[in-house]
Amino acid sequence: MISMRTWLAAAAMATALALPGALKVEAQGIPQNIPRKELLILENPEGTIKNAGWFNIWAINAGSQSNGLQQAALDTLWYIDPEKGIDGAWDNSLAAAKPEYNADFTEMRVKLRRGLFWSDGVEFTSADVKATVDIQVKNPNMRFSAVLANNVASVEAPDPETVIFKLKRPNSRFHANFTVRWGAIWILPKHVFEKVEDPAKFDFNKPVSLSAYTLHSFDPDGKWYIWQLREDWQRTSLGRFGKPGPKYLAYVDPGPPDKRVIAQLNNELDVIHDISPEGMFRLARDGKKSRGWFNGFPYGHPDPTLAGVIFNTQNEHLKNRDVRWALTLMIDVKAVVMAAYRGAATISAIAVPPTGIHPEAYHKPMEAWVRDFEIDTGKSKVKPYDPTVAKQITDMLRPSMGDQIPRDEKEIANSFGLGWWKQNPQAATELLERAGYRKQGAQWMTPDGKPFVLRLMVEGDLRPVMTRAGTMIVQQWRQAGIDARIDVAQGTLLTRRAAGDFDSFIGWSVETWGGHQDLSYFMDSWHSAFVAEAGKPQPLRNWQRWTHPELDKIIEDIRKIDFDDPKGVELGKDYVKLVTREMPLIPLMSYNVFTAMDHTYWTGFPTAENPYANPVTNWGNSRYMFVRLKPAN
Amino acid sequence: MRSYLHYALRRFAQFVLVVFIGINLAYVITHATPIDPVEQSIAAVTSFGNTAPEAIAEMRRSLQELYGLNGGWLEQYSTFWSRVLRADFGPSLSAFPAPVSSLIARALPWTLGLLGFATIVSWLLGNLLGGLAGYYQQNRSLKLLGVLAMALHPVPYYIVALALMIVFGFIWPLLPITGGSAMNLEQGWNLPFIISVAKHSILPALSLILIGVGSWFLGMRSLVSNIVTEDHVVYAEIAGVDPRRILGSYVMRNALAPQVTGLAMSLGGIFNGAVITEKVFGYPGVGTLLVDAVYAGDYGLVLGVTTVSILGVSLGVLLIDLLYPLIDPRVQVTT
Repeated sequence: MISMRTWLAAAAMATALALPGALKVEAQGIPQNIPRKELLILENPEGTIKNAGWFNIWAINAGSQSNGLQQAALDTLWYIDPEKGIDGAWDNSLAAAKPEYNADFTEMRVKLRRGLFWSDGVEFTSADVKATVDIQVKNPNMRFSAVLANNVASVEAPDPETVIFKLKRPNSRFHANFTVRWGAIWILPKHVFEKVEDPAKFDFNKPVSLSAYTLHSFDPDGKWYIWQLREDWQRTSLGRFGKPGPKYLAYVDPGPPDKRVIAQLNNELDVIHDISPEGMFRLARDGKKSRGWFNGFPYGHPDPTLAGVIFNTQNEHLKNRDVRWALTLMIDVKAVVMAAYRGAATISAIAVPPTGIHPEAYHKPMEAWVRDFEIDTGKSKVKPYDPTVAKQITDMLRPSMGDQIPRDEKEIANSFGLGWWKQNPQAATELLERAGYRKQGAQWMTPDGKPFVLRLMVEGDLRPVMTRAGTMIVQQWRQAGIDARIDVAQGTLLTRRAAGDFDSFIGWSVETWGGHQDLSYFMDSWHSAFVAEAGKPQPLRNWQRWTHPELDKIIEDIRKIDFDDPKGVELGKDYVKLVTREMPLIPLMSYNVFTAMDHTYWTGFPTAENPYANPVTNWGNSRYMFVRLKPAN
Repeated sequence: MRSYLHYALRRFAQFVLVVFIGINLAYVITHATPIDPVEQSIAAVTSFGNTAPEAIAEMRRSLQELYGLNGGWLEQYSTFWSRVLRADFGPSLSAFPAPVSSLIARALPWTLGLLGFATIVSWLLGNLLGGLAGYYQQNRSLKLLGVLAMALHPVPYYIVALALMIVFGFIWPLLPITGGSAMNLEQGWNLPFIISVAKHSILPALSLILIGVGSWFLGMRSLVSNIVTEDHVVYAEIAGVDPRRILGSYVMRNALAPQVTGLAMSLGGIFNGAVITEKVFGYPGVGTLLVDAVYAGDYGLVLGVTTVSILGVSLGVLLIDLLYPLIDPRVQVTT
């Protein structure tokens, strides 16, 4: 006889087993009533947006940018893809052609495309570009006011397709302000903003769009935004490349990295912006149709950003080039790469990111020079470069990662980089001794007889990969006899970086276009004119506060030549040689972003084999992938 | 009655003083933050763009003016208090120019709903089961519950939250693991939205209830265990009074007084938000708002949330102090 209690237990178990199958379909809360074959779900790495209903990107630091606004709805004159681009890295977007400067770079003339329309049916013209400048110059508290007021004397729109910028001083790179590398100065709709009393306090909700998508709905609590393909998508600049695949885009906050992995394993997040290397390994193993930029190791997309150790060269010890080089030669980059990315990194010995066009423009052509580069320690002459470091990393990885680690030299160079500086304690010792430092037991002492203390600032769990790299470097410096200390800044890093309140930190001061060889994007801000005195805030990006007359000369020479002038590469090489000699920062590797793409519902994502766009979800440039995506069968 | 009024006035004055000191402390601490909101904003605006260094100096000046950081500390302090008295905490620096009060107003209902529900359910369940376990000390099921409560009580609630997330979000994906409601639903008093909110709150609420129940359970069991040995309970048992009446009227009622105080303090504390639970489940409440504000150096928002929290806790304690003499005859007001 079966008791009632047994019956109840059996019924409860049967219900429990049946429920998952019954409820799984709508378990995690994907948008209601939108078929998955029409919907692409992407991560908004800004997370939950506090003032969700704010779409005025021209107001300073208000609202979200990467909630789809700059990827799906806004547009500007040009784009440079960090990869190869659909039709080349350079794309004339709202502009019909490249910018035309006069001889002394005090005037920039732009021809615009015709037949492009705002989502409310108003035609886009030169008046919108002029208004973008005039409104922001007139209202000094807007996002791009300072840049525009600083550069533009006047802007004219003589006809609907022509804009003429008169500049206050020669600037051969003024167009960079209207060229998307992640973001840029976006063009605003004159017909909307001219009716607004205070454009800095206008929320622009609902936004009028100039690109292929328009706002469908959003969460007032800032967790998600849904964008819908415009019916007249052909009347946008993206229409040149065909109809975008997804009818709807959802930019969502999926939560911390572990939840992003779960969401993609549940096929509820098509594109993850970034996760930890371990999360990527898990997806590669268990996500049946998930993959990263590379089909196997090292998975991540190398951003055109160079991660490295930034020295504060206003620090008494770090003013000395010998000390900076000694600290470099104490590092075993293989251990750093293994600690930070579990080996999934692309290393660079020179201060240019090893990604996009740069390996062809700088790394490979300069390989011979780097191999011959010599340091005179005073006691010996050493050639510190080891061209086999990337290969050594692959050899270390192969036992655990197997066949996915390439053997082909070209493939290794493409994925893992070339060589790096060989750890050389003897040369480091000789350099420190020449700088007046003495070893007392196992401890290095400064010239004035105190222990050599050096802090390395990291962001902590806000940026775990870089923190792991920093921790490994501190360990290596300590093993070499420096009293190195990890300095966890957490959220204060940005404030302390600007204030110069650090000895050294893990971060980046070198960011490039990626798809273009010109280095002025970051280098112009390294001119000595912009270096702040100790204790004063430093404008971006020369966080190392390093000055050198030769560097100023290179920067001034670049300012005098056209953006595409081949001389720019030669000047870029001069910069590489100078920075290699002086070592104001220790280049480590590109900033790899583990963007994971799930091919369950969509195919045609950009990859290392088909690098037509940058898939990293918060980049404005990621819009190009929408036109190549197709629903999976 | 006169003595009660005197007591109430004195207690209210203490409340005002506590709130004043608390808000001032919060003001000093938030303004001592090493995070400069201007630099945070500049970094956010410029880190991905090509902004000329000379323009950044101008941007810095504009931001200081815009954020009202140019005046001296006395001017800023008096502006702050004049705003607090008008329940206006100024604009959020990290979501400029949205007013802090509107951000809190949007987040608060989520937190109040989630934590209010979790607190009351855990209090009711914990006290009921704890009372039973303290009275029926030989009952095996209640003993087992005691062991479970002891085991769960010391587990940090975020560990429970993570475990629930893995079990019900991934291994057995029954329930949503992020957000307050499903996407693309209109927020309001409509059935699909209400069902969605309820579904989204199950896991975060459960993570709080599982731990909360244990805590109330153990407290109540211990109180009841003491009361059952007191003379009036023993006499009632000897006199043959119905055990259910003894439990309800003689034991639980007496044991509840300190638990009610605890409940009032817990209800006051829910204005803080359950920071980690909200973070783990991506819940759009005050806790998430507070953490984001701290990282962004948005001290206007931190101050706003902290002030609401100080008021919540202080009001909770004030109310219970004022009510005690009225509901518990053992509490006497003395002048």
